[in-house]
Amino acid sequence: MARAEFSRSLRVAVECLPNSPRPRPARTMRCAHRSLYPPTSRCISTTPSRFAELTETPPEKFAAAPEINFSKEGEDDGGKPGSRLLRTLRVVPASPSYFSAKPTFTDDFIHLSALLRKVATLPTIPTYEAPKVAWKTIDQYRIMTNEPVKTQRFHKMMHILRRLNCIHPSLMPDEVVQAMKRYKKDSQPGDIVPAPGVVDEWGRAKGVGRRKTSSAVAWLVEGEGEVLINGKSLPQYFGRLHHRESAVWALKATSRLDKYNVFGLVSGGGSTGQAEALTLAVAKALLVHEPALKPALRRAGCVTRDPRKVERKKAGHVKARKMPTWVKR
Amino acid sequence: MPPSICLRSFSQLSLDRSVHSLASRSRLSPHAACFSTSAARFANPSPKKGRVVAPPKRGQKTLNVKRGRKDPQGDVGKRPAPGERKAQRKRIVLRNDNALEVTALHDMAKATILSGLDEGRVLGIPENVVDALRAVEAFKPTQGWGLFWRPATLMRKETIQMAGLLKEVEESEEGQKKTIRRVLSGERLGGKSTLLLQGLTMAFLRNWVVINLPEGITDYPAAQDITNAHTEYAPLPGSQPTQYFQETYTANLLAQTLKANEPVLESINVTTNPSLPLPLPANATLKQLVELGAVNPEASWPVFLALWEELSVSGRPSILFALDGLSHIMKDSDYLSAEVKPIHAHDLTLIRHFIDCLSGQKSLPNGGVILAATSRSNCPSSSALEHSIQVAEQLQRDPNNLLHYNPYKKVDQRVMDALKDLRDPEAKGLDVIKVGGLSKDEARSIMEYYAESGMLRAKVDDGFVSEKWSLAGMGNIGELERASVRQRI
Repeated sequence: MARAEFSRSLRVAVECLPNSPRPRPARTMRCAHRSLYPPTSRCISTTPSRFAELTETPPEKFAAAPEINFSKEGEDDGGKPGSRLLRTLRVVPASPSYFSAKPTFTDDFIHLSALLRKVATLPTIPTYEAPKVAWKTIDQYRIMTNEPVKTQRFHKMMHILRRLNCIHPSLMPDEVVQAMKRYKKDSQPGDIVPAPGVVDEWGRAKGVGRRKTSSAVAWLVEGEGEVLINGKSLPQYFGRLHHRESAVWALKATSRLDKYNVFGLVSGGGSTGQAEALTLAVAKALLVHEPALKPALRRAGCVTRDPRKVERKKAGHVKARKMPTWVKR
Repeated sequence: MPPSICLRSFSQLSLDRSVHSLASRSRLSPHAACFSTSAARFANPSPKKGRVVAPPKRGQKTLNVKRGRKDPQGDVGKRPAPGERKAQRKRIVLRNDNALEVTALHDMAKATILSGLDEGRVLGIPENVVDALRAVEAFKPTQGWGLFWRPATLMRKETIQMAGLLKEVEESEEGQKKTIRRVLSGERLGGKSTLLLQGLTMAFLRNWVVINLPEGITDYPAAQDITNAHTEYAPLPGSQPTQYFQETYTANLLAQTLKANEPVLESINVTTNPSLPLPLPANATLKQLVELGAVNPEASWPVFLALWEELSVSGRPSILFALDGLSHIMKDSDYLSAEVKPIHAHDLTLIRHFIDCLSGQKSLPNGGVILAATSRSNCPSSSALEHSIQVAEQLQRDPNNLLHYNPYKKVDQRVMDALKDLRDPEAKGLDVIKVGGLSKDEARSIMEYYAESGMLRAKVDDGFVSEKWSLAGMGNIGELERASVRQRI
């Protein structure tokens, strides 16, 4: 087993010897520079060395013009082979940017310009009504094309793309949709839609909310306005009136306090965190019952999770930001 | 032959410096202490660490927050006299001159109070009953009496239930009058003490004899003061096992009882022949008897017993015997016996008397109600009492599913025996009145009263009432008052 492994590795090593990837002259130069050292390499690698690969290089859409066969043309003419063809022929490269070093961006730009020229007469909608699209950033585009695209040119291209996006959605040609796909990010806003909540067979709707280090689950059923939190009534659980109000704020702000019963389960954190985690949980459960209340709840500040948390302490500081007091010497 | 490098390093180890050149000596100095560390340690004694910072230069200002350097007088404001702050804190205010007088407010009336027709209405307490209630210390400073023009209470469902109990006692046949015993329990700020006060009010209105052991919010005396070793005590002669009586406390209780029940006691003559340490005039009334005990503390306990004897004679008025703060008397008291052992609260004569009435060992021949209110904020833990109340509440909800005592908690067997009837599904005498939340109609009624008194400046409609009702934890009346009257945003 081990012997077979060794012989196979040896064979691979021998095979990779003739097609050494490095250019010879550079090698000799370096070797000459380090002539003091023994020329033998210190370790033997048995795997053939490879070039760094560009994994995501897109295939070019054009190809170089095929080679012209002069010998074939010159036979029937009798003169110098290919002389007539040379006289009549004007070679035009398939890509307008054939002679630039890296033509991808120019091609993209020309392609989009041509497309815009073609669809320019289609009716448009105002910019604010156009569908929201997350375009690739310039850095992402540079990585995709592997080309140092200038910012200004990129912005010109984005201008065309935004104009294309403003074509009326019902008349949007499929060609444009396909063309724009190349410049969009992989995930678009609104792609991930959370599963809609359901009112279960007991008439309960569930909502989950978090704040600081507290997390709350609220179950909302239609009822008289009774509230139980961890099995206790509201004043038993929250001593401060402010906390009680914030726990049921979603219901109070939409004047639904006398129409639902709440069962809350809260854990972690302090009383402020728990009360405000409940705000969010109750609001989410209420949205399951009445989705149309979302704007009202957003105005009441019950929809967005407050992301603030305790800032960590840093080394060299007394607290998160406080520095030690300055002491003379 | 060893290599030369070894020889060189060996020679470097040598402490003989003279063999080395000047250049190598400087390199060698860290190696000098290879075999001895003392030289390096004693060579340079380390400088002192705590360096004194120079005092501030002349003309520099430094922060000096210490008071009284330049201003030796300090605060010149007048300090309150000793006890003044406490008196302020404990003062019972029953009137708010700035509140509006509610013109539509009716008083509780003797004729209709037990009928139960006033359910859900707010009724005022008559003037003379207010005086009597003040005498027996039924009002507490934490209750919101001082917010309104005059004392008034809501006739809630539990109040009607209590009125029904009094009515039941009054309507029972002569000769076999009923004795009804109830424990009031419920949430904090749920209105237990106020319900007790309503019971006292109804008893005063119906000319019962009322004896009240108040909770110790006010200075003295109180239920908690019976057991917390604030009054003098002495062993009762001839008692086996030894019981202890409290002269001063009992004398004070008699004085309070006399002040509150004067018209009733005045109208009754002493018929039995009590053996008292002090002479009683012939043909004395009960008032004179009680006065004797109130003035002479050494005779107070025999006088109390004589009073109880007198009230047990047939044809006398019914008795309401009430206590607030039940858990204070369901534990060891803070008194010590001669053997320096804690005295159980049930060994104090007055408490023993109440416990006998509550547990049903003593019945009242003329009928009566024994009330004991628990407290949630001022309550020493008494697991036996808590368990008994929980079982009684469970019996009311679901008699088939009884709770068991937690075996890991210390059990006070005397308390368990005293409250045996609470846990017994068959016994009807002792039960629990659960003081829960108000209904929405009751909440609306009391909030309209708040609004009419000018203490709640909001439109009282269904939405407002149900919002406050929810925020107050399903109609907890104390929280309702806190949320609507006391708190102004």
